[in-house]
Amino acid sequence: MAALVVRSVRDLLKRADFAKVPRRHRHKKKWAATEPKFPATRLALQNFDMTYSMQFGELWPSIRVSLLSEQKYGALVNNFGAWDHVSAELEQLNARDFVNKAHARGEQEPESSQTAAPSPASWACSPNLRCFTFTRGDVSRFPPARLGSLGVMDYYLMDAASLLPVLALGLQPGDTVLDLCAAPGGKTLALLQTGCCRNLAANDLSTSRTGRLQKILYSYVPQDIRDRSRVRVTSWDGRKWGELEGDTYDRVLVDVPCTTDRHSLHEEENNIFQRSRKKERQILPMLQVQLLAAGLLATKPGGYVVYSTCSLSHLQNEYVVQGAIELLANQYSIEVRVEDLSHFRKLFMDTFSFFPSCQVGELVIPNLMANFGPMYFCKMCRLT
Amino acid sequence: MAALGRQVSAWYHLIPLTWARMSRQTPQKKMTASSLCKLTTASTGGGLEEVPCVQDPACRTHLPQCLLEKQSAPVDGGPWEREEVITSLLDMGFSDVHVNELLTVQPGTHPQQVLDIVSELILLGVNPEPVCVALKKSPQLLKLPVMHMKKRSSYLRKLGLGEGKLRRVLHCCPEILTMRQRDIANTVRVLRDKCLFTVQQVTEILHRCPYVLREDPGELEYKFQYAYFRMGVKHADVVRTDFLQYSITKTRQRHTFLERLGRYQTPDKKGQTQVPNPLLRDILRVSEAEFLARTARSSAEEFEVFKKLLAREEEEEPENPMPGDKSTMHGTVPQHDDPAPSVSWAEGNCCEAGPSNVRLSVCENFRFKCLVFIIFD
Repeated sequence: MAALVVRSVRDLLKRADFAKVPRRHRHKKKWAATEPKFPATRLALQNFDMTYSMQFGELWPSIRVSLLSEQKYGALVNNFGAWDHVSAELEQLNARDFVNKAHARGEQEPESSQTAAPSPASWACSPNLRCFTFTRGDVSRFPPARLGSLGVMDYYLMDAASLLPVLALGLQPGDTVLDLCAAPGGKTLALLQTGCCRNLAANDLSTSRTGRLQKILYSYVPQDIRDRSRVRVTSWDGRKWGELEGDTYDRVLVDVPCTTDRHSLHEEENNIFQRSRKKERQILPMLQVQLLAAGLLATKPGGYVVYSTCSLSHLQNEYVVQGAIELLANQYSIEVRVEDLSHFRKLFMDTFSFFPSCQVGELVIPNLMANFGPMYFCKMCRLT
Repeated sequence: MAALGRQVSAWYHLIPLTWARMSRQTPQKKMTASSLCKLTTASTGGGLEEVPCVQDPACRTHLPQCLLEKQSAPVDGGPWEREEVITSLLDMGFSDVHVNELLTVQPGTHPQQVLDIVSELILLGVNPEPVCVALKKSPQLLKLPVMHMKKRSSYLRKLGLGEGKLRRVLHCCPEILTMRQRDIANTVRVLRDKCLFTVQQVTEILHRCPYVLREDPGELEYKFQYAYFRMGVKHADVVRTDFLQYSITKTRQRHTFLERLGRYQTPDKKGQTQVPNPLLRDILRVSEAEFLARTARSSAEEFEVFKKLLAREEEEEPENPMPGDKSTMHGTVPQHDDPAPSVSWAEGNCCEAGPSNVRLSVCENFRFKCLVFIIFD
């Protein structure tokens, strides 16, 4: 009888998992937590409700419902594969190449209004990009990309608005290009697709993220273009780039870490709105100013920089741009001019909905009809 | 011949008549009985005693039915009986037109049968005119066996659907008289035991939205849970706003749309929200155009796209709630004056689909302690 009792007690203890967990990890779980636990996605939503309803006013509800619903994708055709074949296939799905459409529109308009057209250099889009999207209100999806006949993937699925910073950068053949925060690699891939990069330096602080970048380059770009010192992937601190390689690059893309609004509303993992990452969130604008300043310092005089985020917050967008320009003027006596992108905006108005009253730069706001973005981008020219 | 007829009728006394048999034999009946109608109206009472029943034994099937109720009625009382029926109907308050309509609405029905059904309905407190409308709309009611009708009306009275409340129900959902009692009981049980409505509220629901009877009880429970847990609507409001009559798809589309727009919030346990919620009436009862213009303040094309996206979200992950949808569908309904079912409800929820790990661990811990206690006792 006693043996039976002892055995059953041992069973119970085993069931309660006392034996397996090492002593140092053992802790007594509180039954009633004093503080209610909110998921980070919910905290993010609360935060956005507070700040953006003031910032956008009547527009906010429509942005909110779009952010919480499924986003639309664009298919960036891989020029290193059989791109004409892939384009034909995508057209069969009823998708349209929005870059091509914008070009056609851009060619039409100067004829009708010659006077308004500014000098081509300031708004010229980066060439050779083909990105397919479904038309407004069409909620179809692209099938996942497949391995093409040439050993690289057919197309890369990304938020179509992410292509706008690359288009705005206006690459010219033979440019040396820096992508300061490159991972996960969509924009870097787009930069390579233009075929204009004589040298491309792709940097990201985190090694795990540069690992992802490498993987994408591996599956989309043939080896001869990837190697031979044309593409260089590094994991350095981007804030020090001004000291490392000052006045080196023709074009710099500064796609900074931000609150990634859409992502923060859907993913719990690695969410920046977790309570433990409050500090990190608070110093984000400062980090962004430092990165943009470093990017501007790495540019040759006369070169262009595009700053971009995927956040709606003015604090991370316009104010950062203004802050960085001020910082450069005060500390380094470097003059930077903000380029006017309103013509660029007109070209892509059919595909994206833009926020009408940005002080500097352009902001794509999500809308259920065209659920892309949010994406802020601002083009600057370093004068001295 | 007459003797044979009597014998046949005696057999039918012995065999319990099923409803199926009745319906199977109607075509033949219809034929003979229509001839009966013609003949009797032509002759205005007299001399045609044998006509109705003797030609075809099948037509007797309905007669024993009446005989069950009215033992005294003779087989040969056709036209005379009809006169009697007409006077009774007139006594009940029907006009001549109505009487005529009642007797011709389902040709082939015995007048006595008509009288029995109608009088049951009148006894349930329905006025003559609505009775007429209901029977014209669903003539199959006249074919119901009288016993069934009697049982059903006493059941409905027990549910509280007498005295004037039945009119609307009969208009919307005449099936309440024909459907199986078990189905009605199932619906009522779900409303009472699963959704914890009071008896009066159940009566009110059946009165205001009789369509719930057509619905699958599981769906009904889900709809209630959606109202209670997702939208934070209390029992009394579910009843008052006729929430259960709207389809779950429509409710969910409009509610989710508002919620993601930031115009609707599920109230917390104190019933507070950060934004003032629109009235349920303005969400569900209004047309879509009005809903979009006044409540959601959005465009029709955006709502169309949203509906498509929502439908896809649902079919892709029916189990997991969307990230935008904050609360889960599980929880406990606070108990009111009916402790027994609510306890079982809460228990089931706690052990199987408990909302949080905390509660689960409480349960397990309690069991664990009990076991230890038993062993060392």
